[in-house]
Amino acid sequence: MEDEQIMRQVRDGEVNRLEVLFDRHQRALLHYFLHLTGSRATSEDLVQEAFFRVLKYRRSYQTENTFRAWLFQIGRNAYLDHLGRRKNEVAWPAEAPEAASPDAAPDRLMEEKQETALLRQALAGLPPEKREVLVMSRFLDLKYEEIAAALQCEVGTVKVRVYRALHELGDRFFALRGEPLS
Amino acid sequence: MNCENIRQQLPECLAGRLGESARERLIEHLEGCSLCRGELAHLGIVWRGIEALKLEAEPDPAMKERFQATLAAFETGLEQGRLAAAALAAPRQTPPRWAWQVAAGLGLLAIGLVAGRGLSPRPSVTPEIAQLQGQVQSLHQLVALSLMQQQQSPSSRIEGVTYAYRMTQPDPRVEDALLYAAGHDPNVNVRLSAVDALDRYAADPNVRRALAATLAAQDSPLAQVALINLVVKSKDRDCVSALRRLASRPEVDEAVRQRAQWAIDQLGIEGESR
Repeated sequence: MEDEQIMRQVRDGEVNRLEVLFDRHQRALLHYFLHLTGSRATSEDLVQEAFFRVLKYRRSYQTENTFRAWLFQIGRNAYLDHLGRRKNEVAWPAEAPEAASPDAAPDRLMEEKQETALLRQALAGLPPEKREVLVMSRFLDLKYEEIAAALQCEVGTVKVRVYRALHELGDRFFALRGEPLS
Repeated sequence: MNCENIRQQLPECLAGRLGESARERLIEHLEGCSLCRGELAHLGIVWRGIEALKLEAEPDPAMKERFQATLAAFETGLEQGRLAAAALAAPRQTPPRWAWQVAAGLGLLAIGLVAGRGLSPRPSVTPEIAQLQGQVQSLHQLVALSLMQQQQSPSSRIEGVTYAYRMTQPDPRVEDALLYAAGHDPNVNVRLSAVDALDRYAADPNVRRALAATLAAQDSPLAQVALINLVVKSKDRDCVSALRRLASRPEVDEAVRQRAQWAIDQLGIEGESR
């Protein structure tokens, strides 16, 4: 059954059906908060808070957007409330899993590891709003329409933001590698 | 199509989400534009590289259990609300004719009494009204304490905290119950509600000391931040040492440590301005 159909059931009173949506989306939401906060405990609290708000505001669910877009909009608001309107740089996870092909040569492995470390550093240095839009697009595979709904802006704006965020990430990464900026 | 429009489509192209006709237009442009080809190459390196930064963390099973507890509490609350609404909407029996006659007589008597008393000055709060207010206060206290002790139902405990809000006079037993809930309730939403309700008790130095102790024992970052905010609001400089300890513990959440440091700064400023 589609998410939207289940959410309509929740909206109409079958609140226990939300458990299905929790099972489907808790991982993506946890990753979203982990990317933004760098803290597992805070991210778990925020997942609970987001789903509690889904329950609380279930009657305001509109079917023109996907449930996922609505969930991330709610999750984002929970995160902003958590920040308490502070404009702090947030921590990036110190250690994240690194992907490397198992049969790569030791030199290549070392190089990949260094590049990943530089990319992590570059990503951590991005302004939070740029990091957020990249996380949504690249790591959570949200469609531009869903990102637009979550950020409450136009799809065209998302397109421009993702491009600018990726471009700035590239600038920072190549600068860290000692190559000239574009 | 100009270079700017083309470049905005590059992330979608790299993600493989570009439609067929848009992709053809983009390829056509790239064939004749070396700058955009260079941009695609640069962005491609970054786009592929950050694949390695994708998180693989799996949710802890305790998250599901916590959510199920919240859901169960919410359903209980809904059910109680439905029962209360049904009780209000239940058809009432029409009183017999003699009851209307008695009511009319009592009504006339009441009008006479009010009119008679209106001719003489009287205090704005009569002993009867004061007694009634006291009874309501006691009722709120009773309901608040009773609900906050509901072991199986977080929604009932939150409702108990709500009753504590409604009390016009602070009450030591309710204060104790709120402090216990803020520090030890297994449900974080109950803890947060209790911290909010303690706001009115924060002028009491004993409460502030208890809050400082609760702060150290708290394991939820959201509840820790709420407690820190309350400590700052109450301008209690005695809590600075507890805040310092919190800010220096490496196992404490980074955002909480930052908030604790902020609170120390705030309380320092308050102290200097006195």
